[in-house]
Amino acid sequence: MLTFIIRRLLIVIPMALLVVTVTWVLIRIAPGNFYSGEKKIPAAIEANIRKKYGLDQPWYKQYGMMMSNVIRGDFGDSLKYQGQSVNEIIIRHLPYSATIGVLAYLLALLVGLAAGTIAALKQNSLFDYGSMSIAMLGLSVPNFVLGPILILIFAFWVYVLPPARWGGISALVLPVITLGAIYAAYIARLTRAGMLEVLRSDYIRTARAKGLDERTVLFRHAFRGGIVPVVSFTGPALAGLLAGTVVVERVFAIPGLGNIFIQAVQNRDEPLILGIVAFISIMILVFNLLVDISYGFIDPRIRFE
Amino acid sequence: MNILGVSKIRTLSILVSVAVASSFLAGCSNTGSNRYFGKTFAPKDNVLRYVTGPEPESLDPQLPDGQPEARIYMALYDGLVEYGPKDMQPIPAIAKSWEISPKVDEFLFHLRDGAKWSDGAPITARDFVYSLRRGLRPETISRTSYLGYIIKYAEEFNGGKVFVKKGESFLLAKDFGGSDNGSRTPLGPETTFHTFIASDDRLALDGDEKKRAAEISSDAKLKAAVEGAEFVPVMADDIGVEAVDDFTLRITLRQSAPYFLSMLPHQFFRLVPEKAIEKYKKEWTRPEHIVTCGAFRIKSYRPYDALVLEKDPNYWDAANVHLDGLEFLAVEELTTIMNLYKAGDIDAFQNHVVPSPWVDEIRQYKDEYLNFPENSTAYYAMNITKPPFNDVRVRKAFNLSVDNDGLTAFRKVTKPLYSLAPSFIIPEYDVARAKVSEDIRKERGVSSEEWLKNSRYDPEQARKVLNEAGFPVLKDGDSYSCPSFPLENILITFNSNESNRATAEFVQAQWKQNLGITIPLKTMEFKTYSPYFRSLQYEGFAVLLWSGDFMDPYTFLTLEAGKENQGGSGYYDPKYDKMLDDANYELDSTKRYELLARAEAYLMDQLPAIPLTIGATNWMKKPYVKGLYPSPGTLLPWKFVYIEQDPEKWDKDVENILVNTDPVVERQLQDLKSTQPVATK
Repeated sequence: MLTFIIRRLLIVIPMALLVVTVTWVLIRIAPGNFYSGEKKIPAAIEANIRKKYGLDQPWYKQYGMMMSNVIRGDFGDSLKYQGQSVNEIIIRHLPYSATIGVLAYLLALLVGLAAGTIAALKQNSLFDYGSMSIAMLGLSVPNFVLGPILILIFAFWVYVLPPARWGGISALVLPVITLGAIYAAYIARLTRAGMLEVLRSDYIRTARAKGLDERTVLFRHAFRGGIVPVVSFTGPALAGLLAGTVVVERVFAIPGLGNIFIQAVQNRDEPLILGIVAFISIMILVFNLLVDISYGFIDPRIRFE
Repeated sequence: MNILGVSKIRTLSILVSVAVASSFLAGCSNTGSNRYFGKTFAPKDNVLRYVTGPEPESLDPQLPDGQPEARIYMALYDGLVEYGPKDMQPIPAIAKSWEISPKVDEFLFHLRDGAKWSDGAPITARDFVYSLRRGLRPETISRTSYLGYIIKYAEEFNGGKVFVKKGESFLLAKDFGGSDNGSRTPLGPETTFHTFIASDDRLALDGDEKKRAAEISSDAKLKAAVEGAEFVPVMADDIGVEAVDDFTLRITLRQSAPYFLSMLPHQFFRLVPEKAIEKYKKEWTRPEHIVTCGAFRIKSYRPYDALVLEKDPNYWDAANVHLDGLEFLAVEELTTIMNLYKAGDIDAFQNHVVPSPWVDEIRQYKDEYLNFPENSTAYYAMNITKPPFNDVRVRKAFNLSVDNDGLTAFRKVTKPLYSLAPSFIIPEYDVARAKVSEDIRKERGVSSEEWLKNSRYDPEQARKVLNEAGFPVLKDGDSYSCPSFPLENILITFNSNESNRATAEFVQAQWKQNLGITIPLKTMEFKTYSPYFRSLQYEGFAVLLWSGDFMDPYTFLTLEAGKENQGGSGYYDPKYDKMLDDANYELDSTKRYELLARAEAYLMDQLPAIPLTIGATNWMKKPYVKGLYPSPGTLLPWKFVYIEQDPEKWDKDVENILVNTDPVVERQLQDLKSTQPVATK
């Protein structure tokens, strides 16, 4: 188990560096640069800018400098937001995205697991059809449609919740529901499918045959196997949620990482793009690792070699 | 999981459709019977909440070039003069009065004593000298430093150039084809510095050795002259800015510039704090380090969300600042801004926000919706270096077949543009332009009917002109066709956004209908578009949007001036440049406008770009917000703004807001102007 974890962790660093390299190349291929705007900058000013940021150096020197900084965990200063370091920006704005993301995922787990389990237990019942239809609807209504509908209802028909911005618990309600809905729907369907499969398996039949009461069968044996698909889904989903969600953050004007990332790309803010990309890729790799480890605890059938 | 942001970009384009979708939703919710749009209660805390656009790049006024930031700087930093609230003409700020030299190439500013920084330290003329030198330092990398180039030796210093010293004297520009500035009559006391700065312009060469060598070797006379000479870098203290005493500042320009005062309220010329900058370097703008000098100071700052300001008791004019606080919110999504406004969470927002599907409904809120002409323009530049657009007749034909009035009606939020500089912004210039146009018509002996035919929308005339250019337009039943027109590679190229697309589709349809020529559209992301456009890689038409840097037609006319101009058409005509220069040497403002109008008419005869629309403000404010006006640049002097608690006195029918007088604002404005005895312009 330990060797498994170490081996996986060793892959994380080179993978992240590879992702950073590919991103760097893509930014350099993309036309335009961070200082170009509506107006043409006089040549002298452009020369001053290029000199200051080392853009007058050959590409391999620029790449080497960038890489040596990144390896030391220093992404440098944002090009657009002068005087602010990339690390500072990520640390400052991660909590906003993470708060919304974690709350949304908790909500999704609560609703999704409950609905999925009940639906599986009462297969083909009215509840099953009802909840799965709602889940299907949840999956097919994208959050950029759900968000404005919720705003319309709760901020304008009944003036009870603010339509946007950060601040106070009331401001969290709409973005968390908007963001969580699609995950709740997904989890409900995954849980239902997983539970149905497990409930039909031999070891559950054995457990029942041994005369265990239904609650023990369900929570001790069936549930652990049934939620394995949900756990696999949780890794990348949570990593993505923590790193920010562009649409919800923009619609609700939340100062999260997703919002900043999209602006960084539009601004060609190279250090900021690289920093956020490296951060997201490390998060994804680490969360996937955590998920893989947790399989061993949840499902006794899975063992690490 | 997308890591590279590529599919996130796609999500963004989806957002645009969201804006449209949700706009219909919000539209449904309003019955139209309410007088005001959403919740409307004057805030009791006397604090204005304003959305100014995306997150400011920096709180350092000399770095960014954007308008959202400019509005923030107007609250935090004062300059010599300030924009007038309605017309953006300069009014006294830290300079209580000024004198102008007869040639309008030197300005002497008398500063008020008693002006203070937010930390209580006094503001003196030396602070202005520091600010200008710092803005022009190459290491500062100010993107707006080009505005300072009008000051003598500023461009040379910013560009790292060198003077050429031979023995005890310096080589002079006039001996090597440079202009002769002649003698200057000193304004104020004569000093050693002034003797130097008022003397003939020194020759300045490139600071880079290789480039300098090339420069020298290409000119035999220069080559002989620099033999054995020493190259002396242009230094910060060579720039034409001088603190004559604590409260007198002298600025010497490189040429006559009657528009210099209108440039001065720009953020580049505002005061920055020497002590904080030199102590904290790039971190001086952090809330814990920053020192400001405007009507407001920073209370708290949450990046990407809110910059909260409070009234600064140290401000020299604090007694006349009405608001207790001001919050700048960073929100980019237009629909979200509208939602916040409707919910009463904000009191006003920046320009260009009301999405076009909303405009028809929002227009009905006559006490709140402000759509006034702006100091900004849109054109289609044509690549005149390649056929068929190297033929002025082809350019004219395409111009004559675009109905600017129709385009304006279609676009809803713009005004029609017929020339290079916008109308409605400077009334005196509109008068001069009309007079010059009439003069030229008479000089050429053209009937007024014929004259109009060749200057405004006239498809019949357009087809005739295109025919003369060798591309006959054939009538095909009800429609037209022009089979001989070479369509290969010809496109209408624009950076993708809703308004550019709407314009392109309209113009495309017009040309198809009037000339029988269908030109395909090509869109690009903004950062990709700019270099593509600038380097003339496009063929046919490309969108050119321009917003004036200051309140003078020159800021538009200079678009096509010089070899490396901003016009993007490949146009260069020394005669046009000469006409502009001559105009700027003219000291009488009426005559100067007429000379500028002549130059503009000369340019429009060659038509490097098709004029399309004048921008419009397109923003809203709650009726209880007073002293906030739809000025042509949406740059708002915040000390005039106040919140009116009495609904009886709220703004009504804002269509006339620029004409109506508000006694509170008028009195404040008169008090400020009273210290400058002569006309401010």
